[in-house]
Amino acid sequence: MTRQVFGVEVADELRGIVREPAALFFSVVMPVAFFALFVSLFGKFSAGGLSAGTQMIATFGAFGVISVVLMNPGLGVAADRERGWLRAKQVSSVPIGVTLAAKVVAALPYAAGVLVAMTATAALTGALNAPALALLRLGVVLVIGSLPFALVSLAIGFQVKAGAGAAILNAIMIPTSVVSGLWMPLDIMPPFFRDIAAFLPNHHLSELARAQLNGGPVLTHVLVLLAFAGVAAVAAGVSYRHARS
Amino acid sequence: METVLEVRGARHDYGATKALDGVDLDVGAGECVALLGPNGAGKTTLVNQIVGLLPHHGESVRVGGGDPRIAATRRQLGVVQQSLGFPTTLKVSELVTGAAVRAGKPRSAAGPVMAELDLTDLAGRRAVKLSGGQKQRLQLAMALVGDPRLLVLDEPTAGLDVPARKRFWQILAERRERGVGVLLTTHLIEESSAVADRVVVLDRGRVVAQGTPDELVARLPDRTVIARTGLALEQLQALPGVVSLRTDGDHVHLGTRTPEALLRVLLVQDPGLTGLRVEGAGLEEAVAGLIERGAA
Ligand SMILES: Nc1ncnc2c1ncn2[C@@H]1O[C@H](COP(=O)(O)OP(=O)(O)OP(=O)(O)O)[C@@H](O)[C@H]1O
Ligand SMILES: [Mg+2]
Repeated sequence: MTRQVFGVEVADELRGIVREPAALFFSVVMPVAFFALFVSLFGKFSAGGLSAGTQMIATFGAFGVISVVLMNPGLGVAADRERGWLRAKQVSSVPIGVTLAAKVVAALPYAAGVLVAMTATAALTGALNAPALALLRLGVVLVIGSLPFALVSLAIGFQVKAGAGAAILNAIMIPTSVVSGLWMPLDIMPPFFRDIAAFLPNHHLSELARAQLNGGPVLTHVLVLLAFAGVAAVAAGVSYRHARS
Repeated sequence: METVLEVRGARHDYGATKALDGVDLDVGAGECVALLGPNGAGKTTLVNQIVGLLPHHGESVRVGGGDPRIAATRRQLGVVQQSLGFPTTLKVSELVTGAAVRAGKPRSAAGPVMAELDLTDLAGRRAVKLSGGQKQRLQLAMALVGDPRLLVLDEPTAGLDVPARKRFWQILAERRERGVGVLLTTHLIEESSAVADRVVVLDRGRVVAQGTPDELVARLPDRTVIARTGLALEQLQALPGVVSLRTDGDHVHLGTRTPEALLRVLLVQDPGLTGLRVEGAGLEEAVAGLIERGAA
């Protein structure tokens, strides 16, 4: 029963994304385009046995999934709220959490799609040198690790209109991602970037993904992401309770 | 009669505005109650508490004995909301099917309800592209497809043409025979007389009158005599046939069902009377009168 309801909710969301792809287009295409540019320039350099192109799947990949998951559910909620459609969901007998979870889940195939597109691009440019299993682990880590960002997205979606939401979310996402080393390696950035990055979940997500390739330590990154998830969940809950109608 | 909706002392404040100020209301199984009142009376606020959109205090609102803030309780509700917008991406059939599944019904429940509401030909259209009346019918289909015990309809006939309105009343009648309770809001006293067993008049967050449509119509003034007069309010109140009294700047508005008799006496008592007008009494006027008389 609940499964059928969830199925309908996800189907509605997917129809929304497929029939009006413009919103998601930029959050999918932009990271992949950047990736293609950087990987064709620097992809073949190697660092610690791994090609830069392979490592970029962790860093740009983190940017890609964050970009999809940060934009989509929140802007969807904001649009539903503006239209008054969220009220129809709220008076139905489906708990609102199910509706919101469906919005998040519907975005995940696109997050996975970004990763597949990046991996294919790296392979095509001859910059890919990691075992398939490690790449698969990396993909799973990134997709699951992107979920707390969806909560941030929802928290903002309950408060602002879709147009303002897009601006705010970009203003959060791009600087935090650059400082986290998702575009360019932190090694070539000013040292204080690293100090800030230590506090940013974007950085820990990409490091956790990179650990799947080079076997680095994971515990700190997992703990930071869990803490971030907790804070984001509370923020989303409070934001919902004080949602603008 | 089994009670499907019970409201006791409902209150709601929007900042300094008392939108609801202690409202009591019951709807029984198979009963249709019309909630009547001027703009801003608190109808939508009350409806929003009943459907779980707004918090209520303690146990002041019970739907089928349960709290509408709890999702499972809302399984018993079918709702038509004022100013609902549909998503731009979904089609009529998808919305009705979705409503069926969300209410725990099979997908196949959608077909008959769409046929009943004349939506079959529109099944493949995007909901946002429908006309106002078609959208109302779609909302009603989404409300009915879950087989609710209580229908809560906020101005459901707004935007419906006369045949659609008749059809709508027919559909309500069929559901009521099967024991579905109905609460609907409206501005139109004629509409409530046509469909409701009972009318509850709300004004400024309070129930100011209730009864069968006939009882109510008999008490409401249907003409307003407006004039500038030197008479005191008590004198005006005592004039024959005055059932309501309201001041508006230096004019008084006297509601009555017998304007001729009233005017005869009024012109004798105040020969200096100016600015005389007689108008049909709108609901606003009628309700304002009921308050001044403290009728409830
Ligand atoms: N979101 C809100 N914020 C502040 N005040 C509100 C809000 N919604 C309604 N009100 C006020 O509460 C009072 C009751 O409004 P409500 O919408 O319940 O009236 P209504 O009877 O449904 O009117 P209408 O016939 O115009 O639909 C009005 O004074 C209105 O201005
Ligand atoms: Mg209203």
